[in-house]
Amino acid sequence: MARVVITGVGVVSAAVSGDSAALGAFLAAPFAPAAGALGAGAVAVLVDPGESRRLSRVCQFTIAAARLALRESGLDPAAGLGLVVGTEFGDLASTHAFADGFLARGPGGLSALLFPNTVMNTMVATTAIAVGARELALTLNAPTVAGELAVARATAAVASGRVPAVLAGGVDELDPVVEHELKRFGLDAERRAEGAAFLVLEPRVAAEARGAPVLGEISAAAWRALPARPWGVGRTCRAPAIEAVLEAADEARDRWEEQVLGAALGSAAPVSTLGRLLGRHAGLGVLRVAAGAWTARSGLLPATDGAARVERVRPGRGLVHGLARGGTHVALVVDAA
Amino acid sequence: MKQVVVTGLGAVSPYGAGVAEFWKGLAGGACAIRDLTLIETDGFRCRLAAEVPEPLGGSARRTRADRLAIAAAGEALADAGLGARDCAAAALVVGAVGGGMLEAEAWYWRTARAGTRPASLSALRAVLPSAHAETLGSRFGLGGPRHTVVTACSSGAVALAEASELIAAGVVDVALAGGVDAITRICFMGFNALKLLDPAPCRPFDRERRGMSIGEGAGFMVLETEARARARGARVYATLAGHGMTTDAFHVTAPEPEGDGMVRAMRAALAGGGITPAEVQYANAHGTGTPQNDRIEARALARVFGEGGLLVSSSKSMIGHTMAAAGSLEAIATVLALGHDLVPPTANLATPDPDVPFDCVPRTARATRLRCAISNSFGFGGQNVTLLFRRSVA
Repeated sequence: MARVVITGVGVVSAAVSGDSAALGAFLAAPFAPAAGALGAGAVAVLVDPGESRRLSRVCQFTIAAARLALRESGLDPAAGLGLVVGTEFGDLASTHAFADGFLARGPGGLSALLFPNTVMNTMVATTAIAVGARELALTLNAPTVAGELAVARATAAVASGRVPAVLAGGVDELDPVVEHELKRFGLDAERRAEGAAFLVLEPRVAAEARGAPVLGEISAAAWRALPARPWGVGRTCRAPAIEAVLEAADEARDRWEEQVLGAALGSAAPVSTLGRLLGRHAGLGVLRVAAGAWTARSGLLPATDGAARVERVRPGRGLVHGLARGGTHVALVVDAA
Repeated sequence: MKQVVVTGLGAVSPYGAGVAEFWKGLAGGACAIRDLTLIETDGFRCRLAAEVPEPLGGSARRTRADRLAIAAAGEALADAGLGARDCAAAALVVGAVGGGMLEAEAWYWRTARAGTRPASLSALRAVLPSAHAETLGSRFGLGGPRHTVVTACSSGAVALAEASELIAAGVVDVALAGGVDAITRICFMGFNALKLLDPAPCRPFDRERRGMSIGEGAGFMVLETEARARARGARVYATLAGHGMTTDAFHVTAPEPEGDGMVRAMRAALAGGGITPAEVQYANAHGTGTPQNDRIEARALARVFGEGGLLVSSSKSMIGHTMAAAGSLEAIATVLALGHDLVPPTANLATPDPDVPFDCVPRTARATRLRCAISNSFGFGGQNVTLLFRRSVA
């Protein structure tokens, strides 16, 4: 199995947009809870007006973040590039618009252009075209952990030699209907946001041969259904000497996750939660892996008790752990480059 | 890499529940495409679909798609003889597109027209494609890796390929995988808007074909390592010898005109299985019945296997395009064809298209000795998948 490294990072969010350097600078400085919604024109530099007219908003996020990651990596997609994208809600805005056309005007109100966007793989389809990714292309749908799951699946694909390199990302868009319904059911306590994040993953040997920046190594990745017993997490992680943990669970799952992480890893590893400050969406899961690599490199852990400040930890190895509504949990062990 | 074999099959199709009914319908060339009753069709050019007949079984409180999935997955697990301990370690990979959209649409329609709200949070949660995996995982106690893939019309086939990779890589020894979709308003309206639906039952590979017919269903397989299957004395239907997954990166709805992505998927499947084109006797085609798809798929098949190099047929001529279930139901059809040495026909094929240089088995099933067969599935976004099955050796 090949060793899998991160050679590019791309993030588009209300809190931070850019490559690994931009993300590192953001994480190193104190920050308060960020707004969840991306402003108009947030991706204009990366998606030209001709493209943006044809693309839905969430597809624009996806393409912009993918391009940032590829730019940092310097990878040539023609050499063989896969694409794995996690999303919780897909392009719901287009789905609403498509249905609303019919409800307003009957069959004559239906848009043939909007219909493909109602299928959740539309972000993968448009991004594959935009960046020239012609190998394995997957859209993974999961509540809460879609981004982490995409990175884990992509890591396995690179490690096994299935594809030469993969763009692994996550993306979601805030949707007024979803937000309204979550609020109506009293589920609006957790901070939600929108945006996209991508990593370029490739074999260490290939990255070093082409002189690419190596930003971190994903030395283990696993996903499982919810374990009924606390040692399930340990079984998934199989990672000794964890120095820090970046986890993202909502309030209702925190206590359970704290117990199982403690049982698996002991209580020594400091834990950080970015979701409460940056807002949860599938892109956050990928951003957290990039942040885990940054922590492993720098020995700086964003401590997020109300507002962020950095805390010094021993550099080396971190764990990114995600736990979903519905039972899927994902564990990624991230090592310094 | 470990050999991956098929040890359990489960299907709910427009013929009804069960693999036996599915094969009986396919082998008999029965077309299950009829007037659509699930949703309103007033004002649309096409008013046909292949619906799963009642009774569906299961709780009416669940979404229609969940009920289809539970029935098919339960049959596959029982067929394989997997117990609770096996399931606790098994992976689950589900291909899905619509999720519980049929029920969500009903709510959205009512909300728009009358301002009512959904009855429960569970109804809201059931909307997403991933809901099926949660339902199946919980119902059958599947505790291994679990994920939901959405690759449009190739989702069911991708789920099987994904499970195969998990097994071949040694992550798990056994997996339940497949696809499911119920008919939805958005799907029916969307394909109507794209003018891709034939007002009559679809006629893949016919010179007069005018488009596809939509359908619904669920198809699941139990896949496991050959060593594990042999050790427990399981019946082995076939070996999933190889698969290929590629992307056109060309257009969101149109396939690349030369079929390059399709060709790469078929060649990758053959290479993975160590099989030459000459060893493959049958292709269960994607075969939607749209002028463009069938022409390009035929071109791609000819590039890989040579003109007339194998028998080709389309299950969609009988059960319609079952969306995320299509790839897995057609994979089951391919496995059953190998087991019965019988190629299901292309129903409604009266005038073969001269641009399709293959015997497309018109109307009547063909008895012939089969050793290897492929199942092609292609989806919006140029998402191409080929599954290669090899007859099991007892």
